[in-house]
Amino acid sequence: MQVKENRQLTKDVYALKLVGDFPYHEVQAGQFVDIKIGAGLEFPLRRPLSIAHCDVKKQELTLIYRVVGGGTTWLRHRDVGDSVDVLGPLGTGFPLPKPQSSVLVVGGGVGIPPLYQLVREFDSSIQPQIILGFRDKFDCFWIEEFAEYGKVTVCTEDGSKGHKGLVTTALGAENKWDYLYSCGPKPMLRALKGHFEGTTIQGYVSLEERMACGIGACSGCTCLTSDGKGTKRVCKDGPVFPWEEVVL
Amino acid sequence: MSVDLSVNITGLTLKNPVMPASGCFGFGREYGEYYSLDRLGAVVVKATTLHPRLGNSTPRVTEVTGGMLNAIGLANPGLDQVLEEELPWLANQNVPVIVNVAGDTVEDYCIVVDQICQSGLAHAIELNVSCPNVERGGLAFGVDPQVLRRLVEAVRPYCTLPLIVKLSPNVSRIQDVAMAAAEGGADALSLINTLVGMQIDLRTRRPVLANRTGGLSGPAIKPVAVRMVYDVAKAVDLPLIGMGGIFTGKDALEFIMAGASAVAVGTANFTDPRACPRIIRELRELMAAEGIKNLEEIRGCAL
Ligand SMILES: Cc1cc2nc3c(=O)[nH]c(=O)nc-3n(C[C@H](O)[C@H](O)[C@H](O)COP(=O)(O)OP(=O)(O)OC[C@H]3O[C@@H](n4cnc5c(N)ncnc54)[C@H](O)[C@@H]3O)c2cc1C
Ligand SMILES: Cc1cc2nc3c(=O)[nH]c(=O)nc-3n(C[C@H](O)[C@H](O)[C@H](O)COP(=O)(O)O)c2cc1C
Ligand code: FES
Repeated sequence: MQVKENRQLTKDVYALKLVGDFPYHEVQAGQFVDIKIGAGLEFPLRRPLSIAHCDVKKQELTLIYRVVGGGTTWLRHRDVGDSVDVLGPLGTGFPLPKPQSSVLVVGGGVGIPPLYQLVREFDSSIQPQIILGFRDKFDCFWIEEFAEYGKVTVCTEDGSKGHKGLVTTALGAENKWDYLYSCGPKPMLRALKGHFEGTTIQGYVSLEERMACGIGACSGCTCLTSDGKGTKRVCKDGPVFPWEEVVL
Repeated sequence: MSVDLSVNITGLTLKNPVMPASGCFGFGREYGEYYSLDRLGAVVVKATTLHPRLGNSTPRVTEVTGGMLNAIGLANPGLDQVLEEELPWLANQNVPVIVNVAGDTVEDYCIVVDQICQSGLAHAIELNVSCPNVERGGLAFGVDPQVLRRLVEAVRPYCTLPLIVKLSPNVSRIQDVAMAAAEGGADALSLINTLVGMQIDLRTRRPVLANRTGGLSGPAIKPVAVRMVYDVAKAVDLPLIGMGGIFTGKDALEFIMAGASAVAVGTANFTDPRACPRIIRELRELMAAEGIKNLEEIRGCAL
């Protein structure tokens, strides 16, 4: 694929828009792509990045990434017109909620991107409540974009924008939701599961794990099933799981 | 010029010398979605053990410059499921199947080898001897020539198929373990398995892998692997399957010149899911360009 745009959103978060040959129509919200880094063999493992937006009409794929190491630094230096080797879409995404249901969407940091593709796929009868957690006011991105699809609440760890504290502090005691969709750091997913313990909410969480093959062949990325007796591959059976199925 | 890529290893004829390396290809299903497996010389499956194994805690893979470390811990669905589900599926793919076998004890190895041979669903056995020997305080079977010879001798009567012993590179003289495997009754040898390594996370100040150490593979190990194939080719008169950092047709040819009859491709599958068919094509083009009609012409020419 070719780079159409590689735009800085915050100090260290970028949005990469790709065009070119890709099975756009196959994309399911929550799936990811695996990107080859560099022309040589210095970086033999691909980097998994969630699909933030797949525009089937315009034939464009948008990924949002935080620069954390060698691979994402290489990605940041791609210019318009450069080629990028993209494998995907990979994995199993989010099952969509029934029309008319009440839906809570919670994202933290660079766990937020796949939730954008998700809220866009919701039935028009659904007005999700969307909670987005960031480190501080400088770390925020795509709040307006999400606001087109539901009611957005922002939380920052230092309180410099929106609610102060973790996403669970913005929830209150009530539980009126049929579904919860979440992606972000594991402690956040765990806190959410704890918060809704004993309720009937159906939760779906997207997990992160270090990957090698990205397609389910190497067993590198497994997580434990809740009974402790089996494993699931995050890259193939996930990254999205019903939260009762796996150990968080 | 037409080139002949076929090779014969201990009575097993392969249409080309390229096969995926064990553990890097599962049981073939996933890569079968990228190309037809019958294009491969053979398929080598994930290590199969008597009982299912979940493997080590994660993170169990990580990248290093020009390579990767893995500490999967032999995760596999166990002998019963391999016999009931995986091998019957592979038997329909029209490609020779080599089953990689691992165990904690000599008895485990014998049972698994026996049942796989009796199933009629495999074409050869590859003994993974890099696993910790539970009866010997966890030291790998493959690092002590005497222990290795006794393991191969014990398995041999149960193995009615060609028996390939996969050597560990974590030894001071690989020729010695190669000779021990040959004395024990191996029909062929494959090498190398991964080299023990470690990576430390500067932020947490702890090893990245939950298991602390992991096996190094990929381009970073290729020169070591080529040297070991060369040394073993000089020391024993058995067919060799060479591997370690093979990413291109040129890499494959290098191993063949060092004495390998066939080659296996591991980490490269992760970088490029179509690596194996690409390497086969590159090898054919390279041979045509160099005027090499068949691999026997150049095998071991560097020795
Ligand atoms: C399914 C999935 C979806 C993801 N989606 C996004 C996204 O939309 N946006 C985003 O910014 N990040 C996302 N990540 C995390 C992203 O893959 C890592 O930040 C990235 O691989 C780091 O690469 P690096 O070379 O810059 O960092 P390094 O730390 O130098 O990477 C070294 C190795 O560790 C792996 N690694 C490091 N951090 C992670 C991590 N958090 N998860 C998995 N592997 C890691 C790398 O892939 C590489 O193999 C996702 C991860 C997964 C598993
Ligand atoms: C993720 C992973 C899993 C592996 N699992 C096995 C295994 O189950 N049995 C085995 O004999 N070797 C295993 N290996 C070793 C490879 O088969 C091969 O010997 C090694 O990776 C060197 O080849 P490469 O550099 O082409 O990857 C594994 C390697 C990797 C990277
Ligand atoms: S990364 Fe290989 S199985 Fe998931």
